[in-house]
Amino acid sequence: MKRALTVVGILIILTPIFAYAAELVGYSEPLENIAANLGVGENPIYKGILPDYTVSGLDPYTGTLISAIVGSVVVFLVAFGISRLLGR
Amino acid sequence: MHIPDGFLDLPISALTYGLAAVSLGSAVHLLKKRGINESRIPLFGVLAAAIFAAQMLNWPIPGGTSAHFVGAGIAAVLLGPLQAMLVLASVIAVQTLVFGDGGLTALGANIFNMGVIGVLVAYLAYIFLESRSRSVGAFLAGWFGAVSAAVACGIEIGLSSIFAYNIFVTVPVMFAWHALLGVVEGFATAAAVTFLTKSIPELLTHEVKAS
Repeated sequence: MKRALTVVGILIILTPIFAYAAELVGYSEPLENIAANLGVGENPIYKGILPDYTVSGLDPYTGTLISAIVGSVVVFLVAFGISRLLGR
Repeated sequence: MHIPDGFLDLPISALTYGLAAVSLGSAVHLLKKRGINESRIPLFGVLAAAIFAAQMLNWPIPGGTSAHFVGAGIAAVLLGPLQAMLVLASVIAVQTLVFGDGGLTALGANIFNMGVIGVLVAYLAYIFLESRSRSVGAFLAGWFGAVSAAVACGIEIGLSSIFAYNIFVTVPVMFAWHALLGVVEGFATAAAVTFLTKSIPELLTHEVKAS
């Protein structure tokens, strides 16, 4: 369990680095590329609490790191809660 | 490969919501009947958190695109298909509701692609090869999990009017890039499964009981 949590920790620390790398090469996802090529625009009706893994007022890398921490904790709690409910 | 709002036609959005709901409902029903091993509950949560964090890593693929792990393969191998579906659904729901990654109207499609199709195809690939080589099975689970989810996504947007029904563009493009990303995910899945089964051998025993 300790090791598993270490892995999650390492992944979280990696997120701003990967965000920086993605920025550096300027690549985007295939789905976004297809949409751009075919002239399709997004039409968001809901942006979320931390839109696009950013925290308003913070630089994108700190925002990504905080998003990774918040998201991992929330996902853990949701999945843990679901499995507890099913475990009874 | 999270589909945002505005990409899918209403019938596709509704159909995938339905399919995702039926699949998750069946998974919950079967798991309730069978019961989850109490000792595996923390693994369930930690794996979900790990998949969330891993999906945040966008791997640049030479040639101008980047793609992220799906995690359907490793979840299917370690937890079996039913729990894996719920893990991926938890991850995708949080991504959509907290981070706006993937649209509300496409949540059904995103859960269906990564959490149902990705998981089931990955699991089939794994059990097909597990007896011969667990690491090859895990590699293919990682590859098929990412690629099948991407192809499903390509089909759904390709059948939507806003993409002018360009299914013969969307599917090959989604397939090709994720076939490359899938190699990275395949190796990561095989490495993780090999490492975990060596350090915690009892991790995979649930499959024997399940079948």
